[in-house]
Amino acid sequence: MFDWSVIEQNSHLLLMGLWITIKYTVITSALGLAIGLIVALMQLTSARVTVLVGRLFVEFFRNIPLLVWLLWAYYALPIFMGINISKESAGILALSLYGAAYFAEIFRAGIQSIDPGQSDAAVALGMSYRQKLTRIILPQALRRMIPPLAGQMIIQLKNTTLLSVITVPDLLYQADYIASFTYRPLETYTAVAVIFLIVLVPLTYIARRLEDKGPR
Amino acid sequence: MRDDNTKTDDAVIAVEDLHLSFGESKVLKGLDLTVGRGDVVALIGSSGSGKTTLLRCLNLLAHPNHGRISLNGEPFFQHDSGKDVLKLSSAKTNAIRSHIGMVFQQFNLFPHMTVLANVMEGPRTVKKEAEKTNRDRAMSLLEKVGMAEYADRRPDNLSGGQKQRVSIARALNMEPEVMLFDEPTSALDPELVGEVLNTMIDLAKEGMTMIVVTHELGFALEVAKRTVFLDQGTICAEGAPHEILMNPPNDRVKGFVNRFHQTAQLMKPFVS
Repeated sequence: MFDWSVIEQNSHLLLMGLWITIKYTVITSALGLAIGLIVALMQLTSARVTVLVGRLFVEFFRNIPLLVWLLWAYYALPIFMGINISKESAGILALSLYGAAYFAEIFRAGIQSIDPGQSDAAVALGMSYRQKLTRIILPQALRRMIPPLAGQMIIQLKNTTLLSVITVPDLLYQADYIASFTYRPLETYTAVAVIFLIVLVPLTYIARRLEDKGPR
Repeated sequence: MRDDNTKTDDAVIAVEDLHLSFGESKVLKGLDLTVGRGDVVALIGSSGSGKTTLLRCLNLLAHPNHGRISLNGEPFFQHDSGKDVLKLSSAKTNAIRSHIGMVFQQFNLFPHMTVLANVMEGPRTVKKEAEKTNRDRAMSLLEKVGMAEYADRRPDNLSGGQKQRVSIARALNMEPEVMLFDEPTSALDPELVGEVLNTMIDLAKEGMTMIVVTHELGFALEVAKRTVFLDQGTICAEGAPHEILMNPPNDRVKGFVNRFHQTAQLMKPFVS
């Protein structure tokens, strides 16, 4: 009844898909972290406008389904802006900004969890905002943020499967393709699920270990 | 009410007509204070009198709405009813702060650094001082506060009194012109108060200019040259500690001092 040979014969396609999935996860996580840090810092300033812009960014992306936003970025954004945007760019843009909203909340909460006395002590020594952040606040906050950041990156990896709807050839897209010409969806999608588990279970385990070590 | 012995021209810190409100509540209502070189001023008063806020204003951890603050005769803060008159850059403000050492009630040591790194952090990051000079001075300061053997420990492993002595060394390593102490012994177990007070007494004897918010009336009595009593955001009495504490000039001070006299007696052995 099962014919697993289709997986073997098309393993190169699946591996290519896995590579794309991982590549997009790494790129969009890196961009998302950078943008997320900026958005978090915007929300921690005393300028009301900056706080509001940061807040709006986070709420916009947290309250729109990723699939809707992804399709909008691919189909509607180019028309709006009058520009050509490749599916790769649309995918990276959509996933990075979406991830950034969640990373921003992790950064904001992490920074706010640091005792205000730490900031007082840094300022009293004469440190600038930047020195205070890089020498005193972030080194302590990052330690607490590692578990939730790792968790968000795992979600980021799973979210890349949505890229298949705008025909970026990720793992799921390749599976659709294989299933369409082998007529073996059961084997193909099972293989995809197993590949995700093989990649993600160790990552989840590491994230949990980090969490168990606990914040200090 | 101003102490006549204090001349404004050799003032390290001078505060004029300082007002500060948090929303509706007025915390400071027109304070004047002059602190000369080598002066040791004890700021006392019940909680909510504004003494900690006043101290935090002196290095602009809190921002007054009105008034003027000068360091060595140079104004570094001047607001006229909320309007910034001086418009100092943040770099300049930070430079001023680096001349004013501060010791906090909760120590606020940096937990991700060793004791030595804590003490070296200010000169390293703010002054970009050479490693060796910084390290040597930091070690001699740790020696002075009796914490040299703990140089490589993390603050987590220290007692409250030890933490506070390290935090004094951290502030001193910036070679400040004046040291601000915000209830430095209030968070300590009673048996650890003495070691911190002794460190502060040594500092006072060396001629360091100090402004100390304290509940240790014993310290105020024996070490301070001047006692300033704050009540509801104004200076209610000011003068030599013996005058203020032994012969309170008004009922407000009298009521406050009587409640503390018993504690002051208990503290006497530490401040001989």
